[in-house]
Amino acid sequence: MKKFQFTPRQLLSMIILSLGLIIAAVPKNTTTPYKLSAGQILEEMKSGTQYLYPDLIAQMLVEGDPTLQLIDVRPVSEFEKYHLPGALNIPFDDLLSLQFQDILNQDVMMNVLYANGTTRANEAWMLIRQLGYENNYVLSGGLNYWVETILNPQPPAAISPDDEFARYDFRKAASGALGGGAATPAEQQTTTPAAIPRPRPQQKRQAVQGGCS
Amino acid sequence: MAPFVVYDIISENTNLLLAFFIGIGFGFILEQAGFSSSRKLAGVFYGYDTVVLKVFFTAAIVAMLGLLFSSLFGWVDMSMIYVNETYLYSAIVGGVIMGAGFIMGGYCPGTSFCAATIGKIDAIVFIGGMFLGVFIFGEGYPLWEKLYMAEFMGFPKISEYFSLSEGIFVFFVILAAVFMFWGAEWAEKKFPREEY
Amino acid sequence: MSEVRKTKYMNPYLAGVLLGLVVLSANLISGRGLGASGAVKSTIVAAVDAVAPAHAESTEYYVMAKGTHGNPLNNWLVYQMLGVVVGGFLSGVLSRRLTWKVEHNPKITSRTRLMFALAGGLLFGFGSQLGRGCTSGAALSGMAVFSLGGFITMAAIFGTAFGLAYFFRKLWI
Repeated sequence: MKKFQFTPRQLLSMIILSLGLIIAAVPKNTTTPYKLSAGQILEEMKSGTQYLYPDLIAQMLVEGDPTLQLIDVRPVSEFEKYHLPGALNIPFDDLLSLQFQDILNQDVMMNVLYANGTTRANEAWMLIRQLGYENNYVLSGGLNYWVETILNPQPPAAISPDDEFARYDFRKAASGALGGGAATPAEQQTTTPAAIPRPRPQQKRQAVQGGCS
Repeated sequence: MAPFVVYDIISENTNLLLAFFIGIGFGFILEQAGFSSSRKLAGVFYGYDTVVLKVFFTAAIVAMLGLLFSSLFGWVDMSMIYVNETYLYSAIVGGVIMGAGFIMGGYCPGTSFCAATIGKIDAIVFIGGMFLGVFIFGEGYPLWEKLYMAEFMGFPKISEYFSLSEGIFVFFVILAAVFMFWGAEWAEKKFPREEY
Repeated sequence: MSEVRKTKYMNPYLAGVLLGLVVLSANLISGRGLGASGAVKSTIVAAVDAVAPAHAESTEYYVMAKGTHGNPLNNWLVYQMLGVVVGGFLSGVLSRRLTWKVEHNPKITSRTRLMFALAGGLLFGFGSQLGRGCTSGAALSGMAVFSLGGFITMAAIFGTAFGLAYFFRKLWI
């Protein structure tokens, strides 16, 4: 029985040629790894902590809070027709495009995603949250709810509790500042104190410095 | 995910400790392969000992394949791996000067430390020369600063430069290497030296 | 028959595979490849800083090299080179290759060999700074990550050495 004896050189060459063929033929792995597991994102979605309400956003806008960054995830045409003050347009389809990653993946600003309703913005949030990005939130109710509450606030029924009236007064004043229809002359208003979430510094991977110099 | 130090799987201090062990592996293998002998190292330029070619290309290919397969299996984040910067003119001129140093001294920095540690006096002298050379470079820096900083091309990959995928590029390197291995075998038969 | 021929060295292909694995692990663990000349530079910078700190402050190169972090010796490359010294020594002990000697072509004298070793070292020290790496850092590790600069430097080193080989043949053959 003939035994096949290969020299190290022949053996090595065969192995590296085969591996080389495989690696040349297989397409490159370009997936961005998910930083959060499915279980982790489920927990976050259940808690709903990503939702922010119009009152808070209106307050931040009126106060001129520099850490607020509104992000409009609707198509360009809708953005151009109307958008919230200071909002950036990142159309949903372009969410993963390279040019926007530095806006979405950062720890200086509070990004508040909004769309006409809640759904689109929340979908965007889910996606970028799984990539591990922090400091992104969703405007609950979207523009529709914004218009209802801030721009055209309805006065509460006479029997409503005081804080509802306070909220209404705040909204009236805010709507004036933000271009709404129910503007009234400036009067004493009590702003509803709310816990404004602050941007959290996130672990930005630092690339390694190497080399011989 | 790799690299471990970037993904906080190990601390910076562990990283430095592991650098020490990696160095031990590096030095051990170099010496075992015979890179502690200047006559073996210089042999590749005269054909009588092609160990440099065999070890060098095999190592580069194994490392390249290793990284590509690791990236394929999602084990490593290639964007976090350091890719050497390219300053075109200083890379060429520096390489030419180093080539001259290689053929004259018979060592390169890594191998000279290996050889010095087993008692080769010529390696120790080579190391002394290196310290002097680095010192001269530092002291006279303004003289060659322009060359040093010229034509910064960023951190390009050679595969991108030739518009090939990394996998295909590696394949070509492997083809070239296999061809050279057979050539090396032929050279050692053609230019034998018994004593070195 | 000279002792080198008789010496039992590891099969070069096996050594290459092992070395490649070392480079790979350096990349996977620390995100960078091997190196050598950088450690020499760190030592010089630290030495100048210790011996003549005023000079180090005023010379552009040392200021640039020291950067913002503390001790120039507390870096990855220096620890790696310390390992190289230990590893090489261990190998020498294991293979019984520890001897003091000047290795040279019998056709030239020790003195000639040492003079050229010094010259070669000088050129390599200077060239490695200009080229931002040596055969380990730029060529080997650079190739492993597909760096264009790495390949260029490697081609320049080996191309020049091959080109000049004829003129220095008396040193070796």
